[in-house]
This record gives sequence, C-alpha cells and structure tokens, in this order.
Amino acid sequence: MITVDSLVKDYPVEAGYGFHRVISNVSFTVAPGEKLAILGRNGAGKSTLIRLIAGIERPTSGVIERTMSVSWPIGFSGGLGGRMSGNDNIRFICRLYDKPFELVRAYVDDYAQLGKFLSDPVRTYSTGMRARLNFALSLAIDFDCYLIDEIIAAGDTRFQRRSYEELFERRADRSLILASHVPDIVKSYCSRALVMHHGRAKLFEDLDLAIAISNDL
Amino acid sequence: MKRQASAIRVFVRGIRTQKRVLGALIMRDVITRWGRRNLGFAWVFVEPLSFAVPVLLIWRAMRGDLEHGLPLTAFLWSGYLPILLFRHATNSSIGLIRGSSGLLYHHCVTPLDAFTSNFILDLVGSWAAMAFSFALFYLFGAMDLPENLGLFLGGIGIMAWWALSMALIVACLSERSEAFAHIWQTISYIYFIVCGFFFLCVWLPDKLRDLALATMPSVHAYEMIRAGLFGSKFRPYYDVGYVSFYLAIVTVIGLWLMRDVREHLEID
Repeated sequence: MITVDSLVKDYPVEAGYGFHRVISNVSFTVAPGEKLAILGRNGAGKSTLIRLIAGIERPTSGVIERTMSVSWPIGFSGGLGGRMSGNDNIRFICRLYDKPFELVRAYVDDYAQLGKFLSDPVRTYSTGMRARLNFALSLAIDFDCYLIDEIIAAGDTRFQRRSYEELFERRADRSLILASHVPDIVKSYCSRALVMHHGRAKLFEDLDLAIAISNDL
Repeated sequence: MKRQASAIRVFVRGIRTQKRVLGALIMRDVITRWGRRNLGFAWVFVEPLSFAVPVLLIWRAMRGDLEHGLPLTAFLWSGYLPILLFRHATNSSIGLIRGSSGLLYHHCVTPLDAFTSNFILDLVGSWAAMAFSFALFYLFGAMDLPENLGLFLGGIGIMAWWALSMALIVACLSERSEAFAHIWQTISYIYFIVCGFFFLCVWLPDKLRDLALATMPSVHAYEMIRAGLFGSKFRPYYDVGYVSFYLAIVTVIGLWLMRDVREHLEID
C-alpha cells in the first residue's frame, strides 16, 4: 500500500524570492496490484510526483507512507552511471539491492538484448538501449510497485510489447504507477487515473472521462 | 524486553544495509575514478610525485638542504601531502551531491552515503601516496624514519578529520549557493598560506602563534606531524583536547547541513 496524504512540493523561484508550487495538496492511495495512471500535460507535475513517491526528493509538506517496496523511477535518465559499462552498472545495482549478480545479469541480457554492448560504457548507448537496460534491471530486482515515467512509449514496438507482457500480464499482482501520454495503454491496463493540472490532481475511476479531460486541459 | 530486542534488530539491519550501500558505492567509485584500463590506481602515486619532485629539487638547489636547521625534504613533503588531501577532498565535494543525483534515484542511497564513499576514496588515495612516497624518500636517503611514530600518525589522523569536516561543509554549501563554489577557490589559496605548511609555531611571534593555534586546527596537526618526524629538534605547540573539541563542532555543523541538503537539490 502507498498512501499519499496532502502532499505539497514547492521549488524556489530561480530569480528573487518566493516559490513555485509544483504539487498542491494531492492525496490518493495505491493498493497492492493496482495499476494507476497519471495523466496531464508536460509540466503538470507528473514527474515530480513520481520522484516524491520514489523518495528521491522530500515533500515540502504532507506524508507519503510506503508499506511495499517501490522501484526507482524508470525513465530516460537516472539510476545508471554513464562512465561505467553495462555490466558494472548491473554489478552495482546487485550490490545495492543485495541480489545475485549471475542471475540478474542473465535476466537483463535476455530481456534487454544488449549483447556485447554490456561491456561498453553506458554513455555510449542510445536512448533506447539505456531505457532497455534501466527497465530490465528494475524488473530483475523484483519490486512490489513499479514507478514508470513515460518510458514504455519509447523504444521499438518489440520492446513495447515485451514490456506490456512483463508488467501487466506476468506481474499482474504488482502495483504500478504509470505516467503516460498514450491513451491506449492507460485504457487497456490501468484501473484508475490521476489527472494533474498545475500541480492539482483529481482521481477518476472512469478512464475514458479522465483521458477526455486531460486532452482538454 | 521484546521491544528492546526488536529495536536492536532494526539497528543491526540498519548497520547491514549501511555497510552494503557503502560497499556498493565504493566499488562503483573505484571503477569510475580509476577505471579498468591504463594506469588506473597508479595515478594515485604518480600525481603527487610529479608535482613534488621538481619543486623539491628546485628548492634544494636554491636554499640548501636545511630549513631553520630541519631537513628540508621531510619538512616540505610532510607539509605538502596533508594539503593535497585537504584540497582533493574539498574540491571533489563541490557539486558532488548534485553530480551523484543518479545515485539518489535509489532511495537506500542518501547524500551522506555518496559523500562518505567519495571521501573514503580520497583518503585511501592520499594515505597510499603518503606511504609510498615516504618509503621511496627513505630508501633514497632523503628522509629519516619518524622519531615518534605515534605522534606523527596522530597528526595525520587529525588532518584527515579536519579535511573530512571541511569537505562536509563544502559539499553542503556548494549545493546551496553557486557563489560559494567560486569563493572556495580563493579560500583554499588563503588556506595554503595560513594552514601551517610553511612554518612552525616556534618561529612565530607570541601573538601570531596564539591566533594560529586558536583558529587553525591544521596548525596543531602540523606541529604533531613534525614533532613526530624530528622529535627533539624544536619545541612543538599543540593541544589535542582543544583541536578535537573544535573539529567535533565543525563536524556537527557539517552533518547538520547535510541533513536537509535534499531540500536544496533539483534532480533531473
């Protein structure tokens, strides 16, 4: 269970005094196995909300309670070291999360299909390759709840199909918080949607309505 | 009783996690810093020597091999190495936490963990270079063995603590203010002059000596290092109690700043 209660996040304004409210009094819960979509335009606060749930940033006020293990936000950046090879990254994540290297490596190798690129520095990877490595690693670590920031919309169709299979079919019992622009994914897999606008959020059970509203914002 | 037992269990688990996280970070830093190819770790030894050997030779040619009756090489080298640690540790702390924001994606990693692992590497590198170069100079007859090894190592230890506590503060303040990162370069040049590298307390007038000992922990440490090396050849001034108290306060300030450093981070 993840419980978010009256969450507020402010950032200081770059010039002068004052602050900019990015998340404004947001509350919701995510039960085990639940798939929650976060909808909204760019800059609505989706990524910030995901970083707060992940515990990367601290809320200005409000509470986030986690009683299940939560993945790091799986997106285009973050979580990987660019100067290290793919293998060294896997080794680091295994040490950090206390998992056996050989098993995780075999899984990542099979899933991300990076082959010999695994011994090259990650900074030489394409965005798609990086996304695949990042995603495969988080699947190998096996969290109760996955935080996904747009990433499934990336990559080729083959990678997308495999991602759906892994996340929504083989791990139906896991929770998922998914920030996405793609209505199809949201409609077929999520049970509720949080629509965000200027830092405020409203929860919808009716996904069609949520998508329609987020398109009109 | 039961509650006590579970508190102990939580504590033990915390220690284990901490150990695992630090171990993972250190292995990661070793790879990113020294790499798996070319000279790698050997740079730790080569870098300080490449600066020191020419400087020492020039100084020797100009001034002869005694400074105020003390062996010149040992005097300068024992002064230079601690400065190197101080500069490495504080400079590598500037923007360190922002730079390791990728690590903070894993919520078991705290900013303090990222800092600690970086400092441990600086410290190991510095001490390895020190041991290696002292051994080298001893073999070539440029230095004698320390007369009082305990005092010498005590001074080295206080230097490390001083570098640690200042690096903590630099790491936190550089995240809060851009200006600080620039000003720190100026401060570290001034530090070069006042830290005690070039002087012994006995050479100073009374008032200046009191001021130096009251404000600069490194002056105490240098006195201990040199008293350890040269023993009875001069009268050392140091107060371990005072300097420990001073450094404890600086460390607490650093940790206190580190506690809410996340508030000042914007991670992309």
